[in-house]
Amino acid sequence: MTVRALYVHVPFCHAKCAYCDFDSCGLTGERLARVAGAYLAQLESRIDAFGACGALEDVETVYIGGGTPSVLGESLATLVAHIRRWCAPSELTCEANPESFGEALAQRLAAAGATRISLGVQSLDDDELGRIGRLHSARGALAALERARRHGFTVSCDLMCGLPGQTGASWRATLARTVEARPDHVSVYPLTLEEGTPLARRAERDPRLVPDEDFQASCMETAASVLAGAGYARYEVASYALPGRRCRHNCMYWTGAGYLGIGRSAAGMLDGATYLRLRRLFPGGEGDAPTRSVDPRDRVRLVQLDDAAARFDIELLHEREALAEDLMLGMRMTDGVDRALIARAAACMGDGAVDGALRDVCAAGLAAWTDAPDGAAAWREHAPGARLVPTERGWLLGNELYARFWDLATEVS
Amino acid sequence: MALMNTQDTAHIRNFSIVAHIDHGKSTISDRILELTHTVDERDMAAQLLDSMDIERERGITIKSNAVRVMYRADDGETYQFNLIDTPGHVDFTYEVSRSLAACEGAVLVVDATQGVEAQTVSNANLAMNANLDIVPAINKIDLPSAEPERVRAEIEDELAIPAEDAVCVSGKTGEGIHDLLEAIVFLVSPPSGDAAAPLKALILDSYFDEYRGVVATVRVFDGAIKKGDMLTMMQAGESFLVDGVGVKRPAEVLVDELSVGEVGFIVTGLKDPGAVHVGDTLTYRDRPCAEALPGYREAKPMVYTGLFPIDNKDYENLRDALEKLRVNDPSLVWSPETSVALGFGFRVGFLGLLHMEVVKERLEREFDLDLIATSPSVDYHVYKTDGTMVDVRSPQDLPDVTRIDHIEEPYLAAKVIVPPDYTGAVMQLAIEHRATMTNMIHLSDKSVEMRFDIPLAELILDFFDQLKSRTKGYASLDYEFADYRPSELVKLDILLSGDEVDALSFIVHKDKAYPLARGLCDKLKEIIPRQQFEVPIQGAIGNKIIARSTVKAVRKDVLAKCYGGDISRKRKLLEKQKEGKKRMKAIGSVEVPQEAFMAILKVDE
Repeated sequence: MTVRALYVHVPFCHAKCAYCDFDSCGLTGERLARVAGAYLAQLESRIDAFGACGALEDVETVYIGGGTPSVLGESLATLVAHIRRWCAPSELTCEANPESFGEALAQRLAAAGATRISLGVQSLDDDELGRIGRLHSARGALAALERARRHGFTVSCDLMCGLPGQTGASWRATLARTVEARPDHVSVYPLTLEEGTPLARRAERDPRLVPDEDFQASCMETAASVLAGAGYARYEVASYALPGRRCRHNCMYWTGAGYLGIGRSAAGMLDGATYLRLRRLFPGGEGDAPTRSVDPRDRVRLVQLDDAAARFDIELLHEREALAEDLMLGMRMTDGVDRALIARAAACMGDGAVDGALRDVCAAGLAAWTDAPDGAAAWREHAPGARLVPTERGWLLGNELYARFWDLATEVS
Repeated sequence: MALMNTQDTAHIRNFSIVAHIDHGKSTISDRILELTHTVDERDMAAQLLDSMDIERERGITIKSNAVRVMYRADDGETYQFNLIDTPGHVDFTYEVSRSLAACEGAVLVVDATQGVEAQTVSNANLAMNANLDIVPAINKIDLPSAEPERVRAEIEDELAIPAEDAVCVSGKTGEGIHDLLEAIVFLVSPPSGDAAAPLKALILDSYFDEYRGVVATVRVFDGAIKKGDMLTMMQAGESFLVDGVGVKRPAEVLVDELSVGEVGFIVTGLKDPGAVHVGDTLTYRDRPCAEALPGYREAKPMVYTGLFPIDNKDYENLRDALEKLRVNDPSLVWSPETSVALGFGFRVGFLGLLHMEVVKERLEREFDLDLIATSPSVDYHVYKTDGTMVDVRSPQDLPDVTRIDHIEEPYLAAKVIVPPDYTGAVMQLAIEHRATMTNMIHLSDKSVEMRFDIPLAELILDFFDQLKSRTKGYASLDYEFADYRPSELVKLDILLSGDEVDALSFIVHKDKAYPLARGLCDKLKEIIPRQQFEVPIQGAIGNKIIARSTVKAVRKDVLAKCYGGDISRKRKLLEKQKEGKKRMKAIGSVEVPQEAFMAILKVDE
């Protein structure tokens, strides 16, 4: 396995949203320029370090996320160009918020080689946007979407359901206006209250802010049907795309491809052999690394802990754990997992353990085989091209499904 | 160390500090340790004598503890004080009596703002019954609302204890503590005893130490104990070689001997936690004393609950853990119990609900067990149609209705002391709990004593909490067992998804069955998490369904982003959910959390 994808984290926003617990701090003006300038210099030297040892040669997709990368302005385009010195990805996404994605930036990014813009729209209802601390209006969001399209980008748009004050009608209206604006890709997430966020604290005092599970479930179902009706096919539990417009970068995460993460709190995933080759670039290992020696067959997950790339959290997964993780992540996608992956898992874990999990998830109605819907048969009895895919129920009760496969990592067969 | 040397009895004072809950007993103990330089101020965590985590968290003293302090008095002499701490909650009166038997005196602490309260009275009575010299101390005089003179009068009027010399102290500021120490020297009698006589010593506490075996706290009445002595426990009949002798200051310090009148600990080396019985008398194996000390009253359990390991493999571990706890909690009794829903466990008797909670928490923390406690029950006397009587301590043991002639339940004589304004509220509460008032006495302008006969089963549910809340905390409660009386009781069963869950059954008075069934069904609906399918909850008496509720099926679970950086977090979340499920019990296909089995205590009527 080589490094096929690159994630770059930009931990700055103009203001932090009430629900957000991502690594980012709200900065503006002079301060942002100073802090971001120093941070970008560190990012670039890190990119150069990987590039210089050939680690970026096979990179097919790049994703610059945050935070809000668009707050960097022109520097974001410089960063994109810098990355392109070392690799030639066919997909290079930048996250952007409508209020900081102006005409000039759009033009510079297109010229520097970005191909895709992921816009944080969240809602097309101004009251809802205000209540969660977004800095843009519905109109601003639609204008940004239009601008991105005009500059030739593939456009994705993030939406959230279960927002404070949101109703079934307002959700349908947001969906209708989104579909009308015709982005290439839509992601739909239910709002979750993350510990320590301002929204979570407000919800402690005002239980009306706690998202209603049933409401969110029906929002998810509404989204699936409205988007399907408009030609957007669901390909992952929360992702919908027009034909040929899936986010290839995100698919890497769910299919066990190797990727690097650059920037504070960015995560990478490498096979043991690649990690051993690049190990000198990951000093200051914390977590599993100091206590366990790395086998080339292991999977290594690396999280950069600081701006200077001097400290890393390193997590090692044995083959069995890596396979369980692949099954768990595969079940997030409409494609599910193929019989070949199941065969590899069975070779490692034993037929008994794997068949047990397959039987459980099929019996619970969370997943089904494409060739034999009853799912009672052992994996060997299924056709060579058969896949195990999530059901409608498996979309909404995903944790049950993923947990059953992750159990295989430790289960004694 | 000179201070450690054996002392003549004239310079020994053994005393306890007794008080109503929250009147400041532990703070005063701390100040005494400080003033006698037993511990440095900087080493002092607040409330040093309460060493168990649970005690410190709950701010209550559960286990007694004996600490030796050396005090150089104003007369120039140095005295050995043995301070025996006692528990303060109504569940633990037995442990108080046990500690008091090892003392000659008691410091009676009364809050200068609250005055004499129910447990002040009952503790003072216990101390006087044990023939102790009483040193009254009025605490919290630093508070602006302190009324030491009123409290002094209350001590004289309500307790008939001379209080003109009562010492005014502040455990918080340390004011008056020196005077208190002087008062202890003068008012508490030194121990009497014969140093040359054969050993006679009382075991007043014990605990199990993995390395040293059973360690026992003892009070020597005659003779002395040295390392290497061969001793016999007179009740148990077992002998052992003393492996070490020491005192707590409050850290353990080894000494050469414990001589007549002294209090300290001995290392028995015994590996069986059940071998040492608190209340037993120690003597020399080869030169025994003529007769044992008057035995302690055995503590009678009032409340029984089932304790079941969530993981059935832990059954033996639970038994071992109970054995180990019993060594310093002799009031703990149990017998095996089997439940269709919960598997193998034990029916355990407790002094009260607080005692139960404390024991359950200790079992879970100290022995790393996940336990389910089932609804508390009292000891019912069930008279069968064949003329025999059976003790029923668990709803599951109740014979078939057709074979029951009648049932009797235990009643308590309860005493509530409240300001006159609250008598109406207490009366109302009493009616709701099937209590009948037997007497009402105006003790003073400010307090009324109300006496009730109340079924124990009512008292253990929420009576005490309700009493506190409806009287804004003013009421205090004391009770003792009265007798057994016939009562119309029925067994309320709970069904989950149509199946009866034996561990959720409950014995209840027939007039209360309907509201309780409704309350319980509603409460269970809150407690049982939504599952992948709908779970109907039903309350039934016999075949008749009298209440129902439904836990709706879950429609969606947490659905979060899962990109590169989220994958580890996602896995950890799934693992955490799995841990959470381990703490639930699968009954049929329904995952039931531990607290569901105690839902009965949370039903608000």
